[in-house]
Formats: sequence, C-alpha cells, structure tokens
Amino acid sequence: MPEKMSISVNGQSQVPPGFRFHPTEEELLQYYLRKKVAYDKIDLDVIRDVDLNKLEPWDIQEMCKIGTTPQNDWYFFSHKDKKYPTGTRTNRATAAGFWKATGRDKVIYSNSKRIGMRKTLVFYKGRAPHGQKSDWIMHEYRLDDNTVTNSDTNIVSNVMGSETGQEEGWVVCRIFKKKNHLIKTLDSPRSSSMNELLETRSSRTTHMFDSCNEGSLEQILEEMGNRSSCKEENNEGNQSERFLPHIDTGNNNNNNNNGFYYVDRFLKLPSLESPNSTSTNSQSCYQPIISDMVANQDLNNLVYNQMVESSSISTSGGGGLTNWAALDRLVASQLNGPSPTTFGYCNSTDHHDDHDQDQGHDHDLQLPTIRSSSTSSTTSSSSQMANYNNDIDLWSFARSSTSSLELPICHVLNADI
Amino acid sequence: MGDNNVNLPPGFRFYPTDEELVVHFLHRKAALLPCHPDVIPDLDLYPYDPWELDGKALAEGNQWYFFSRRTQNRITSNGYWKSMGIEEPVNASTSNKKVGIKKYFVFHVGEAPAGVKTSWIMQEYRLPDSASSSRSSKRKGNPKTDYSKWVVCRVYEHDGDDDDNGTELSCLDEVFLSLDDLDEISLPN
Repeated sequence: MPEKMSISVNGQSQVPPGFRFHPTEEELLQYYLRKKVAYDKIDLDVIRDVDLNKLEPWDIQEMCKIGTTPQNDWYFFSHKDKKYPTGTRTNRATAAGFWKATGRDKVIYSNSKRIGMRKTLVFYKGRAPHGQKSDWIMHEYRLDDNTVTNSDTNIVSNVMGSETGQEEGWVVCRIFKKKNHLIKTLDSPRSSSMNELLETRSSRTTHMFDSCNEGSLEQILEEMGNRSSCKEENNEGNQSERFLPHIDTGNNNNNNNNGFYYVDRFLKLPSLESPNSTSTNSQSCYQPIISDMVANQDLNNLVYNQMVESSSISTSGGGGLTNWAALDRLVASQLNGPSPTTFGYCNSTDHHDDHDQDQGHDHDLQLPTIRSSSTSSTTSSSSQMANYNNDIDLWSFARSSTSSLELPICHVLNADI
Repeated sequence: MGDNNVNLPPGFRFYPTDEELVVHFLHRKAALLPCHPDVIPDLDLYPYDPWELDGKALAEGNQWYFFSRRTQNRITSNGYWKSMGIEEPVNASTSNKKVGIKKYFVFHVGEAPAGVKTSWIMQEYRLPDSASSSRSSKRKGNPKTDYSKWVVCRVYEHDGDDDDNGTELSCLDEVFLSLDDLDEISLPN
C-alpha cells in the first residue's frame, strides 16, 4: 500500500530519509515549468521563485534548501527580464558578479520530441570584462514557445520562433558547484605561449573523452566553426549559414539518428577515469596516457599507438577503436593544424553515406572502417551534400593558407560567444 | 516491491548518502526498529543474479537496494560476487564518528575462481565491527536473533557513464568552458 507522505518543504522538512529532489530535465520542463507558466498551483512548493539579479549563488543555496539533507544542487524559478527595453539580452548581473553563458544551448527531448532548451552559465565575480570565473554553474531551462507537433518541416520554423522569444518569461534553473578534476591544475588564464596552450588543449581533450556522455567530435568541431564564423547562437537555425545547416538539418530530418547514434558509441568507450576504484583493472593502462598527453607536445604517434593498443585490448567492438582513432585525429589536428584526413573523417561520420565516396576527396585508409561501423544510420539529402562541399572548401582553404597552426586556433581564441 | 511506495512529487528519488543508508536504514533494521519509509526489501541470503534484482530489490535509476546478511560466499545461480578488496569507512557527517563500513564486490559469471568478471558492482554496507562484536557475543544458538550480520547492499552496473542530469558538467561543457578561459570576457555594459 502506498504510504502517504505529506511534505512541506519550506516549512519543516518532511522529506523522508534517503530521498532527494533529483528531477530529470524532462520533469523540470514538462511538470514544473509548464505548471509555472500556466499559473497552475504546484502541489508542493519545492521550487521557489528567485530574483536572479538580487541573489548571489551562495544566497540561492541557502534559500532553496529542500529539507535538511545535504544537497549538491539547488532549483528555482526565475523570470527573465530584458537587459534593455529594446534589446534581446537578458540581464543576469548581481551585486557581486554576473552570469555568463557558455557553450551552445542543448536541446531537451522528451520521447524524441523537442520540448525545450538548456543554457549553461558560469558565475563570474566582479564586473565585465574583469570578472573572475567561479565554480558556480547554472543550467537554465526554457520551454519551446510553440509546442510543435513533430513533423520535420515544422521544426526549423519552430527553432527560429523560439529563439526570438527566448529572452523573456519564466525559466527553471539549477545551480551547482563544478567539481574540479584534473582540469584545475591545468587552467592557465590567457596563455601567451603556444606550448602552454597546447598542453591545456590536449589535456582538455583527454578529459573530454574520459567521461564523455554527449560529446562527439562533430559537436566540438561544429562549435569551433560556430565561434569563428558566426558569433550569435541565434544563428543556429539559419539555413543560409555556411557551417551549421548540415548539422541541424541532419539532426532534424533524422530524428536523432546522427547525434544519438554517436553518443551510444562513446558510451562504450572504456573510461579513462577510475572513479571510486570501482573500475576494473583494465583501466589502469589508461592512466599513463593522460600524463603522456599532458607532458608530450608531439603526441601524435605515441598516443595513437597506445590508444589503439589499449582499446583493442579492452573494447569489444570496432566502434571503440575508430573513436580512439578519431580522438587521435582531433588532438593531432589541434596540435599540427588541419591534416588532410581529419576533416574528411569528420564529415564522413556525419553523413554516413556513399556520397562521401563520390565527393572524391583525399580519404585515407580509415574511411572504410568508419563507414562499415556506421551503416545503421541512413542519412542523405541534397542540402547536406551541398553543405558538405562548403565545409571541405573552407577547410581546404585553411589548410592551404596555413602551414603554421596559428590561424585556425586563433580564430577560436578571439571569437566571442 | 521494486518500486518505492512513497508518495512524493515528481523529481524526488531515492538517492541516499552512505550515512543515510547506514543510519536510517541499516542501524534501524539491525535494531529491529521499523524503517520509515519502509522501502528497502529484505532479500535475506539472496541467490539472485544482479540482472534478476529488478522487481525484487528497490530500484532507483540504475541502482538496486536490498537488505541481506553477511556471508562468506555470495554465490548466485550463474556466478558469484568477488570482493574487490576495498573497504571504506562510513562516517557521520556531524560527528565524524564511524557508523559503518562499505565494501566493494564485483560480479563474476561462472564458477570461482575461473569466473569471468562483469561490470556489475555491489557495495555492501555493514555496521562497524565493534558494534557487531558486542552484539554477536549475545548469540545463543538461535541465528534469527543475530541481528549483527545485517547488511544493506547497493548494486549497479558500472558503465562509466556520467549522469547528464546530475550536478556535473558534461565533458562538452568543460571544453566550452575551457575555451572561455582563452577568450577575453566581453560582455557589453
């Protein structure tokens, strides 16, 4: 028989021991934020309203406690207000600092239907442009404005519609403190020397893969392209942009085939971390790689060999192997400038189809393996082909115009979000 | 069973800390006090393979919880739990006093010692030895009164996957964040 638990959260806590408020993103959007927006009475005052401009993250932490149990994250509703009456920016400054967006917004799906977006923000103490980055992170969830009923053609228009309306209205937020792994020691603010930069970047790349759950090379490369080509995230849905459309249309037409298929394969990678020593002994062999990657500036062959060895030992499928090879290429491309194989590879995994072959670029030996490991996804559209061409042109331009590595990386460095 | 029977709003889940598991559940169980809420089933010396726990143990996400007894060999129909040789103290957050011990096992398919390791992990929580020895001295032939040997177990399949919903940045976010380091911060005033 269900045992009725009445709990009043902001008064005396009655949350039974062992239970925590740990909502899924879907619950946050579909249950809590939808009720909030519709002015429904929420049966329980779990998520409070917070004026983001008035409270610092550590105040929110106090205010949004649920019960007396220890918490790692705190939830609240916030009403976004425009920074300027005529503008589209949101004012997220507090007395002590400000929240700054990072990365790209992530689409939240429910049953493979798009329901909203997640923005990631970092709290900086002080005033721009001299803010000091803190460990406080905020995930801000917003509902899509128009609830679109699935059909593929509608999605693009919906993307654009929601972008215009995204700077006002209720959002539901989670704040938490970032845990620092190996990252912290390697943080070098605004490194001037290329060596430092390379070390930072290569170690980041390593870290990225050790606990990867949504990462894919396409996304990162896409972001880099994004940063250097167009500076506003609002351009995501713009079909005429050079970089983005092939990825957006790919995901939309395909309903997750591209992106999520890739994610699955990453999940099968052996983890580089050994969390809680619950890991198995096969992981010990990965530890040297991290230090090697950090220490070594010319990692290309060394890491590649180690990774192939390691992954062929401990991964069962071929998918893992090609991903490690892909990692190597990403690292190599960051270190040595775009190599002829790097972007051919990335594009081919993005499209998974025979058009890669027809494009006739200088593919290398890896391609057949890659294609055979990704035959389950079938994607093809003329627009993708067109954009594929654009990409190749652009990268071959970069390749021919830069024998040194400065140019592509500096693009990334100097770009604002 | 296998589902928690507590009526809470959406988003509340059974994510006990080690301390809560020991203090609110194991201690009460061992002392024959009722657990509130009584959500963790008692599987005794269960013979189940880890993938059979669904529907028998308390399931939350990818984790399963149940009470059991301490035993030398945990043998199931298709394999056995092998100690990983790791023990950690569970300390009370307020007093820092040791309230329990957490031991790790990994499931092997087949017969010991030739079993094949799997990615199923079990954390077995027991009360500190001092507490159990004082109690076990009272043992008088009737094993049913030997409450000292209770354990509470958490079983999960280790897949190296971080919970994207959790309080952790995704690896992709970390990359973006690191790229921010290299940018000039340029917010309009």
